[in-house]
Amino acid sequence: MITDITVPPDLVDTDDEIVLLTWVYRDGAIVEKGALIAELMLAKAQLELVAPARGRLRITVPVDSVIRRDQVIGTIESVT
Amino acid sequence: MEQHAEGATGAATKAQRTLTMARAGREAVIAEMRKDPNIFVIGEDVAKLGGVFGTTVGMAEEFGSQRVIDTPISETGFIGIATGAAMAGMRPIVEIAFVDFIGVCFNQIFNFAAKTHYMSGGRFKVPMTMMIGYGGGYNDAAQHSQCLIATLAHVPGIRIVTPADAHDAKGLMHTCLRDDNLTIWMVHKAIWGLGWLGTAIKTALSVVPEEEYTIPFGEARIWREGSDVTLVGYGISVHHSLQAAEQLAAEGISAEVVDLRTIVPLDRERIFQSVAKTGRLIVIDEDYTNCGVTAEVLAVIAERDPSVLKVPARRIANPDIPVPFSRPLENFCLPDAEKIVRAAKELVKK
Repeated sequence: MITDITVPPDLVDTDDEIVLLTWVYRDGAIVEKGALIAELMLAKAQLELVAPARGRLRITVPVDSVIRRDQVIGTIESVT
Repeated sequence: MEQHAEGATGAATKAQRTLTMARAGREAVIAEMRKDPNIFVIGEDVAKLGGVFGTTVGMAEEFGSQRVIDTPISETGFIGIATGAAMAGMRPIVEIAFVDFIGVCFNQIFNFAAKTHYMSGGRFKVPMTMMIGYGGGYNDAAQHSQCLIATLAHVPGIRIVTPADAHDAKGLMHTCLRDDNLTIWMVHKAIWGLGWLGTAIKTALSVVPEEEYTIPFGEARIWREGSDVTLVGYGISVHHSLQAAEQLAAEGISAEVVDLRTIVPLDRERIFQSVAKTGRLIVIDEDYTNCGVTAEVLAVIAERDPSVLKVPARRIANPDIPVPFSRPLENFCLPDAEKIVRAAKELVKK
């Protein structure tokens, strides 16, 4: 199963530009559900993005990119 | 498809995390606070806001208002409170977001926190850690852009650490919090990893182990080995030096990058060894030049054996002017890779 990584509406409730500051793990890493995976910036606020599922992280949007909350910035592939 | 070690066989090993300095330092504070109920955090905006630089995010929620304490704008007052609490057996952490405002509490720091252990004949310890941001480069003008590290380093009784990446930020914070003296953990704002100050310099982000570890005071770190010129710096100057070393390598000049990591105590041995090897020295510091850390580094060579220098040493530091607000003028007064490259080429040609 593949889960999209997006900025959830409970984290950002506007359509403003968000900057992707850091990816905590490398592409291909196995991450736990709920683990911090990225840091975001909205105006001067720094926000934490957590993994929506457990599995292999696939990064599709690089650091420093401007993103929107509904944009898919990576995926998590389930692993057995 | 690229396979990383942790991914090849599922989750056999834990994936490595790349963290910002802010997060790495915070991780050390939280770990120590969970173990030791005597540790508390006090300062402006540390509870509700989570620190101007995000140093205390989430701590008020976890540890409560008795251990994460917002104060009025009264640095003398809360540093005095913390010093007294430390003498009585607590282990306070005091945040001063901008080092520029440390002047208002010099009496508490210099005459009480730094000297009580000595003056009480060792009967009272002051195990207190200050977290302080410093540095310019973001148009915040003369009162929010200073380093003032040499000012603090001048007074006996204070240990000063200046990590340059996330790994060292965590390790040095653990060391500070376990030390029984006044320690000051200082991070340059531009490498802290705060989005609103611009994206962090990539070399300041680093892989940070989940487990606790300490880094001893007084151990410089060699980031890059070289044979033609030694670049000595700390904090953001390490990253400027790394960029310069990369450019110099393309021109056939081999630069060694030495990160002081702790200003007090200073790793005089490692500074000397590197300069004895390369014969050329450039010291880089965003702080003021006059009576600064750069002068102390040059004194190491002058006192031990100045004959190791093939050419006179150079200093690249603030030319003793208030940090200008104007971006072009500010850039003129701050060190950068270009200035280091220029100086290194001149030294090697001589």
